[in-house]
Amino acid sequence: MNAGAGTEIRTGFYICHCGQNIAGVVDCPAVAEYVARLPSVVVSRDYKYMCSDPGQELIKQDIREHNLNRIVVASCSPLLHEHTFRHAVEAGGLNPFLFQMVNIREHDSWVHTDHAAATEKAKALAYAAVRRVRFHTALETKRVSVHPDVLVVGGGIAGIHASLTLANAGKKVFLVEREPSIGGHMAKFDKTFPTLDCAACILTPKMSAVGAHENITLWSYSEVVKVEGYVGNYQVTVKRKPRYVNEELCIGCQECIRACVYKEAKFPDEFNVGMGKRKPIYIPFPQAVPQVVVIDPARCLQVKSGKCKQTCVEACADRRAIDFTQREELVQIKVGNIIVTTGFKLFDAKRIPQYGYGVYPNVVTSIELERLVTSSGPTGGELLLRDGRTPQSVAFILCVGSRDYRTNRWCSRTCCMHSMKLAQLVREHTGADVTVFYLDIRAPGKGCEEFYDKSLKDGIQFVRGRVAEVTDWAVTPEEEGKLVIRAEDTLAGLVRRIPVDMIVLAVGMEPQSDAQDLRRLFNMSCGTEGWFLEKHPKLAPVSTFTDGVFIAGCCQGPKDIPDSIAQAGAAAAEAMALIDRGYIEQEPNTAYVVEEDCSGCKSCIPICPYTAITFDEAKAKACINPALCKGCGTCVAACPSGSIRQHLFEDEEIMSEIEGVLSHA
Amino acid sequence: MRITRTVKYEAERVRGFGREIMAVPGCETLLSCIQCGTCSGTCPLSVYMELSPRQVMALVRADFKDEVLRSNSIWLCASCYGCTVECPREIRITDIMYALKQRAIRDGVYPKRFPIPILAKEFTAMVRSKGRVTETLLVMRLFMKANLMAVLSSWRQGIGLIRTGRFVLKHERIQRRGELETMLAAAARDKEGS
Repeated sequence: MNAGAGTEIRTGFYICHCGQNIAGVVDCPAVAEYVARLPSVVVSRDYKYMCSDPGQELIKQDIREHNLNRIVVASCSPLLHEHTFRHAVEAGGLNPFLFQMVNIREHDSWVHTDHAAATEKAKALAYAAVRRVRFHTALETKRVSVHPDVLVVGGGIAGIHASLTLANAGKKVFLVEREPSIGGHMAKFDKTFPTLDCAACILTPKMSAVGAHENITLWSYSEVVKVEGYVGNYQVTVKRKPRYVNEELCIGCQECIRACVYKEAKFPDEFNVGMGKRKPIYIPFPQAVPQVVVIDPARCLQVKSGKCKQTCVEACADRRAIDFTQREELVQIKVGNIIVTTGFKLFDAKRIPQYGYGVYPNVVTSIELERLVTSSGPTGGELLLRDGRTPQSVAFILCVGSRDYRTNRWCSRTCCMHSMKLAQLVREHTGADVTVFYLDIRAPGKGCEEFYDKSLKDGIQFVRGRVAEVTDWAVTPEEEGKLVIRAEDTLAGLVRRIPVDMIVLAVGMEPQSDAQDLRRLFNMSCGTEGWFLEKHPKLAPVSTFTDGVFIAGCCQGPKDIPDSIAQAGAAAAEAMALIDRGYIEQEPNTAYVVEEDCSGCKSCIPICPYTAITFDEAKAKACINPALCKGCGTCVAACPSGSIRQHLFEDEEIMSEIEGVLSHA
Repeated sequence: MRITRTVKYEAERVRGFGREIMAVPGCETLLSCIQCGTCSGTCPLSVYMELSPRQVMALVRADFKDEVLRSNSIWLCASCYGCTVECPREIRITDIMYALKQRAIRDGVYPKRFPIPILAKEFTAMVRSKGRVTETLLVMRLFMKANLMAVLSSWRQGIGLIRTGRFVLKHERIQRRGELETMLAAAARDKEGS
């Protein structure tokens, strides 16, 4: 397997001080001296910063002057600088894969305190690499073209913004939304913090733009069910649920809704979080996009039993948009990149029974209050108690289902500002006294601290303390007929009982209940909390560990509208960078089948996480698609006949590396 | 050990009290208080106070009138203005302390033999009648009301001061006291009008 058999192996070794990061613990000159005496090593140097231009120049110069044909650099993690050094090796005139990197920073100097032992470990690792690199062969990176279309999954504000950004740049976008309309959570909001501008006024133009854009194919009431392929070349299967209405023909006139045999709207309406009513045939909300009615199969008599006068069909008349023969449909598309913007779900306030949600009718959640104060809501924007009175006093309880080890540990980030915004709206609508119970006020966004200051100045009372319980048990006359909050006012140093008319629970954000299914579908990772994991928390915040799959918005973690939009724009830009370059360079560390040894047992095929292995029936051998292979090595280890091997992880390379580590000790 | 019940009911709040204090010119900034505690940290006397200045601010804003006016904290304030200078929200804490002291005297809830409210009352009474303060007489009056024994026990010092001419028993006064009265009356009218 020794490339260039007969040619002498001439290795150059370089150890980096990384300032004091490595040199502070490892004796670098001693390691260089030790390596210099190893067989096949021609040059061995230590240098302050190998990644710097002079450091890279050192490698290039030595390759030319000493006719080197193998390079080993002992420095930081390959994640950071493997690319840098491979590039330098290539510039020096060698194949970039005749190079091996040794991580003596993260794996050695940063994790050890015993200088002598750390230096010995660095020597062992260096020896292993010098032995290994002898077996390296020249490899070529492959280029694969990138399909220019993009799939965006989820039509909330993040998905809408990502789709529009790409579409405006001339890219074709498929936007898939599970609900009958796009708009997500933002469509339900009355106003947005900290500017108090109307949510609908800023959202609906973007929604209509999506609906009308020639580059966007909007599939609402649809779900992605299967994703195959790899960066630049994904095949995606989308399930289009039957809405029993032809989207092409329906013009949104709503005659059918008026004509429905149910004269009264009697079913809880999802858009108003169950507080309003709708018919079995409905349009989710006035500004819905697409402006197409939908039939709820669980409520419609015709769909359920086939026994209905079908007055809706009569009303639709010649347009014939209503189609009870519609069935679920699977559509296949090809895209180069995928942006996942599947959002969040709200914490179920019933999980904290001491706050009385679901027991006391005047304990509501923040999203319910949002619908109650908005003019498009079930009360037309009039904030009333369940008995019709106007509330005189309203309390907000923050961190409901956030910062709590028993429910969710994280801060949901938006509830402080969301509650202060709602507090302002409550005061505007009713003039009620508002008290906010908080643990910490977190208002770091632009203009947010100023909004907090304004709330303070407006006389909204802030009580620092987590509410212990909500009861309707009155012990003084003033508490009669009220909800009583018991909490410590930690700043005043008092335990207080505070009677109010209405309590608003600022419920936190949680990952969607099917986040784990989505994670598997798109081959992403989740953090321990269940949010989709970005590739790097600082440097790659919208990338995932799967190339060509990006995340934006609250599916990655709780965030407000500006941050969601910023991420959506970033994800669109990342996708565009791949599309406009037009090709992907693939790491050649792929697995390959040595056909004469393959017994055709097929045990490798089901275990490949990237579905890269197929079975060649004619030859009765396994066949690996190098474009799909990610080099994980699972098949290499599983193959019973040892017929699958992997570039850069050949048996000789791994064995000689292990021997190197062990023989030094 | 005595065990007492200390929960605060809404009835114990005096609605509007905080607003009244904040209505004093310069005190409206109390609304912006973020309870950071810089005032308590800065105050050289907070270590003696029943309620720290930060707690006083919280209680005023939340209308807990009795708790604030009955605490010794407002009387221990030495008006050094350290808190006011350091406050990140530019709240005039010392002025609020004055507003609270005035309110306590008006409501008669100040500690009766505590020298600071006595001094405040005697000081203003003397300025009002003579237009000027005679310190020796002011101190005499303070001691008479606050702690008579202290006057008697320091008689030697008193005699010494008289001998050296430093103990003046004659009232200092301004000329044209009538004009001062006019000014004070105008100020009082102004305050009522506001």
